[in-house]
Amino acid sequence: MRITAKAKIETRQRILVAARKLFSDKGFAGTTTRDIAVEASIATGTLFNYFPGKEQLALAIIDISLESAHSEFLTSQRENESLEEALFSHIAIMLRHLRPHRGYLGDVVETTLSPFNQSSDDDASANLRARHLETVQSLIEGHATPASPQPSAVIMHLYWTLFLGVLAYWAKDESPNQEDTLVLMDHALRLFVSSLDINLNTLEPNRSS
Amino acid sequence: MSLNAKELIEAMPINFDETQDTSQQSLDKLLSSLSKMPVPVSRLTRMWALGSMQAKVAIAYFAYWMRSGFVSGDDKQRLLNETHLKAAFKLLGGMSYLRGAIMKVGQVIASTPNVAPQEFVEVLGRLQFEAPSMHFSLLREFVHGELHHDPEELFDDFETTAFAAASLGQVHRATLKGLDEKVAIKIQYPNISRTIHEDFKNLKAATFPMRLTRDWDNIQAQFEEICDMLGQETDYEQEAENLRAARLLFTEDEGIIVPQVYPELSTKRILTMSYFDGLHLDEFLTTNPSQALRDEFGRKIVRSSFRIGFRGKMLYGDPHPGNYYFMPDGRLGLIDFGCCRHYNDAEMDYMDSVEQAYLTSREAVYEAIIRATDLTSTDASRQDHMRLGVEYADWVWEPVQQDGPFDFANQEYFTRGVAIFSELIKKRYTRSKPINTWLTRNVYGIRAILARLGACIDFGEIYREEARVTKPKK
Repeated sequence: MRITAKAKIETRQRILVAARKLFSDKGFAGTTTRDIAVEASIATGTLFNYFPGKEQLALAIIDISLESAHSEFLTSQRENESLEEALFSHIAIMLRHLRPHRGYLGDVVETTLSPFNQSSDDDASANLRARHLETVQSLIEGHATPASPQPSAVIMHLYWTLFLGVLAYWAKDESPNQEDTLVLMDHALRLFVSSLDINLNTLEPNRSS
Repeated sequence: MSLNAKELIEAMPINFDETQDTSQQSLDKLLSSLSKMPVPVSRLTRMWALGSMQAKVAIAYFAYWMRSGFVSGDDKQRLLNETHLKAAFKLLGGMSYLRGAIMKVGQVIASTPNVAPQEFVEVLGRLQFEAPSMHFSLLREFVHGELHHDPEELFDDFETTAFAAASLGQVHRATLKGLDEKVAIKIQYPNISRTIHEDFKNLKAATFPMRLTRDWDNIQAQFEEICDMLGQETDYEQEAENLRAARLLFTEDEGIIVPQVYPELSTKRILTMSYFDGLHLDEFLTTNPSQALRDEFGRKIVRSSFRIGFRGKMLYGDPHPGNYYFMPDGRLGLIDFGCCRHYNDAEMDYMDSVEQAYLTSREAVYEAIIRATDLTSTDASRQDHMRLGVEYADWVWEPVQQDGPFDFANQEYFTRGVAIFSELIKKRYTRSKPINTWLTRNVYGIRAILARLGACIDFGEIYREEARVTKPKK
């Protein structure tokens, strides 16, 4: 029997909903692909037709949240924001969208996004990284003087590492309302912007004083 | 970094380095050179460098303050103290961001005349110790975490740029949603109160084994008092409570106003209150106010202080010019009740006994001062301490005892007060009840403002009117 494209999309969606529920209820480590398949009312083998493993499934859930965060970010940018502030806002909006997944985000960062993990080389995580850095790069360029060179690959790698660090920290942050993460972001982005080897339009962040 | 900031950093005596020269002479030299340097306030955005430099300045003064107590100890004790002090500095070096406790300690030492040497007061007073400023993106996330909505959702016309710095945070203007009521929103920098709390805990653990002077126990008690007060200052719910209590103390026709708190828009770290559109003292003075207007505001400043003390049983611990608003309609606005000390019954009795002493005899005054300073010894230096204590107390009570208006514009009076005080500090006669730390701060603060205002007012009459509320004539 041929499975229609529509049915495929629906099954994929059902798997994602089931995985999201189970990750939240039982945690990432406590959930098996079999559990997810049962919750989604499909055979375990069928699940692997859609996702190679649990890690990629989690990444797909996170990717959906990051996509909606990205759309929100594009419409929420304010005029005269400094680069530092825009980057802060970019991450902050992502964290808001990732909040439902905070409980297992640390595992995802460790297993699929970490540069130390082989599986981080797969297409899904590479795409996520590329899309994220594209936004960051356009923000940097938008704040740079016309003659400035593009940020180097090293700089972008530095940013990605910093971003993963913030995600990992936030996932485990026990402070009230995860306020320690805000401080970490504040310091980390200040450090990052000061390390840029390009000329910015406004080196002075729009801080109140 | 500006050249001045660089010079200042290079001049720091404390590098958290054990090989650093720790002699009293080098500190003296540093202190005198520092006091001549302009304060590097430009380029605040270079906060890393500047923040760390400020911390070093504060630590340098803290070190000086601590070490100046070593002089009277024997060699063995002095060595032990140095060891403890080095451990304390190492600890400070590792403190998170170095901008919590020690910077506030530096600030409080600077504004707490009877604890700090005059040099601290002069130089530290010119430095601005503030929490790092927040850009709007950071602030929005913090507000969202605390109040579950973005500032733009909670308020109309939320101004993204702060109009004032606050204790450990900043203040923004906005309008209440759907209403025509302007408010000031005080927002604390995330996690700073926990940082300060932890830093103080560590600092106390490291410094308290030291035995500095014969009055070390007393200094410790005063230091504890400062720590407690700073702890309160980081709790905006406590400040909201103080504001509510103070607001009830004044009637509309008295022309003294305290902001209204909006509890649904406030937390421990966010305080929303009504906004006062008035002038600060210096701005007010540039309008060339008449003597009558100066006197009127002077009377309100004094009345508010006594009212809060006698009826509210609170001490307005931070009476600096920035906390008073001179409103165009003649009302006086009081803001910032974060640094507010609540008197206990024993302290109310203590103050009452000092007043009674002045109404009774000189002998009674002597006895009151002995109680205030907890002195029992009769050795020579203590007699000198007594002499200065009496001089100080007389200076404090002089405006109360004078019949008719007292001219605070008279420079001789204030200069004399500073001279007495300087001598007390120079001789390290700092033994005192902890409450006196705040009373002294209040007395000097209020009188400095009255002097600057050039007020000529019947201080004693206001005192008697306000004191009568709780103290019937005996």
